[in-house]
Amino acid sequence: MAEADHERVRRPRLGPGQIALEVAEPITEASEQVRSSYRFSDPALSELPLDALLDALLNRIQAALEVDTVAILLHDEESQQLVARAAKGVEEEVERGVRIPIGRGFAGRIAAERVAIFIADVDHADVLNPILREKGIHSLLGVPLIVEGKLIGVLHVGSLTPRTFGPNDLAVLQLAAARAAPAIERASLTARLEHEHSVSVALQRSLLPKSLGEFTGMTVASRYLPAREEVGGDWYDVIELSRGRVGLVIGDVVGHGIAAAALMGRLRTSLHAYAIEGHGPGRTLELVDRFVQSLNEPAMATAAYAVFDTFSSTVLYSTAGHLPPIVVSGSDARAFEVTPAPPLGAFPYGRCPEHEIALGSGELLFLYTDGLVERRGIPLSDGIDALVEALRGAGSAEEACTAAVADLVPIEGLRDDVAIVALQNSAVPRELHLQLPAEPKTLAQVRRILRRWLVERGADEDDVAEVTIAVSEACANAIEHAYPPAPADFRLDAWGTNGEITVAVRDTGQWRPPRGQNRGRGLSIIVAAMDDVQIDRMENGTEVVMRRRLRHR
Amino acid sequence: MSLADVQITLAPNALVAHVTGEVDMSNAEEMGATVIGATPNEAQGVVLDLSRVEYLDSAGIYVIYGMRSSLQARGQALILVIPPGSPVHDALRLAGAEHPGEVTETVDDALLALERLKPPAI
Repeated sequence: MAEADHERVRRPRLGPGQIALEVAEPITEASEQVRSSYRFSDPALSELPLDALLDALLNRIQAALEVDTVAILLHDEESQQLVARAAKGVEEEVERGVRIPIGRGFAGRIAAERVAIFIADVDHADVLNPILREKGIHSLLGVPLIVEGKLIGVLHVGSLTPRTFGPNDLAVLQLAAARAAPAIERASLTARLEHEHSVSVALQRSLLPKSLGEFTGMTVASRYLPAREEVGGDWYDVIELSRGRVGLVIGDVVGHGIAAAALMGRLRTSLHAYAIEGHGPGRTLELVDRFVQSLNEPAMATAAYAVFDTFSSTVLYSTAGHLPPIVVSGSDARAFEVTPAPPLGAFPYGRCPEHEIALGSGELLFLYTDGLVERRGIPLSDGIDALVEALRGAGSAEEACTAAVADLVPIEGLRDDVAIVALQNSAVPRELHLQLPAEPKTLAQVRRILRRWLVERGADEDDVAEVTIAVSEACANAIEHAYPPAPADFRLDAWGTNGEITVAVRDTGQWRPPRGQNRGRGLSIIVAAMDDVQIDRMENGTEVVMRRRLRHR
Repeated sequence: MSLADVQITLAPNALVAHVTGEVDMSNAEEMGATVIGATPNEAQGVVLDLSRVEYLDSAGIYVIYGMRSSLQARGQALILVIPPGSPVHDALRLAGAEHPGEVTETVDDALLALERLKPPAI
């Protein structure tokens, strides 16, 4: 291996228009350094509660660097997002609850790469947060907030006029970050404890999913925005079902306060339980309705349940009095209007019809509660129209959530709580080039990816079933070749031309002859299912190349 | 959720195991062990309902053969429920293992078949 490879320092991965900065030299003007360090190390700061501390820090940073905007985003470990926590000049960031995924955009990239990033011109750079553009910010500089090796957030400053942030600016900002980070960490710990005391907020939070999970063939994103004053009864849920299907739930209990939040928890649980039993969306809502009827208390809720099938790219959708979902297809977006069944708990023995929505490659389904679109004195349909507008062009589930919150949540906060859950049918690539861990649990994932890819290539049901079992057997062989304990990978490549598909599975182990009568069946299956099979046993591994002509193109 | 589920019910003289989901090298042995471990000694045999299995590979077929051997050693029968055209049926066909022991199309037929195997009461 070449010497240079050893010496190469890992470069941060940056988006367009982003420049990584390093503190190259000490601050040139001694007086400024002293001034700045005094500003940020003021012992009085450590006595302040979190909000006051952040406020004081932002003011000092704004004055020290003579910038127009300052913002602090804190790392939310549960969601792997940065949440805007305090801001000057871009207060909307906090009010709208801006959340930036780690690794995306300006702040997300600073957090992921743990480097300082300078953006000379926001218009020509990778910036995710629409508020930064809306405010007319021209140049940005941001640094990660790190305490004892742990990322706790991002601090960034902005200028409305073009400005080249240099090493001196960076040094001051890094000094501020170094002083601020431990204080923020300490104060957030205290704040979190106080937060838990707010029973209703804790209850609401505990009733929503902690993590949305990861799925093959689709991505999901969600938001929950509490109301300004009272706790509400909105919820969302994401449920993994069998056969590559995923359920998406959105619901809204009529009323506010602890009682509404508690009822929400019961409805979410009962819907989830019926859903994992394998009931379709219509039947699931009917069963939840029956559950609501059985409660000896006045209870009413609207809900919608959508089951997305990653193999057929279709959604089965049922609604009990809930607002229409939005389907986003590139620059086009529309509300999917159907006559909803009555709300849950409204009439005994309600029927919930099912509706089919085809969701093309890359298209999005967006579910939300009325708090997002309902404004006093404005017709509901206007609110839905505004949402449709906001969602046009959203390129991912995460982007759709960000755009909806940015465009529809008013600056002064929400009177009603809002739940949002969005799903994107991931685009299927033309060819598969996968490097996979050689573990038995990889097989199920391979089959999910392959089935979707085959359907997209025009394979019929028999093609899909037979190619899937052949490829899964070849992968199982590759996994058996990988001797523990060393972790190993294998490769899967698949391509198709003129109605014929080729799949190659390659490992780095030694081919093992089949052992025993039954162990040899894997190879028999591969040969029986494919038109042509070649097995190359090489010095450094084994490659199985399988071809099959699809029956119907 | 797990790749496959095994639901076990006890019929007179038999254990009925309904398998749903996908069975491959990651969970086949566990499926076999679950069923064999739950089979009472006094049962005439086991009905393995594979009608709702969505995927079965060679590791699964291997385990089914193994289940049959261990039940045979205890003097118990294994009857498989595999409707024609089901994914398991197709997998067995591809593997050239069309006759993995006694096969019926429904659980009821399997229970009747077990009944016939019962030694006459003295």
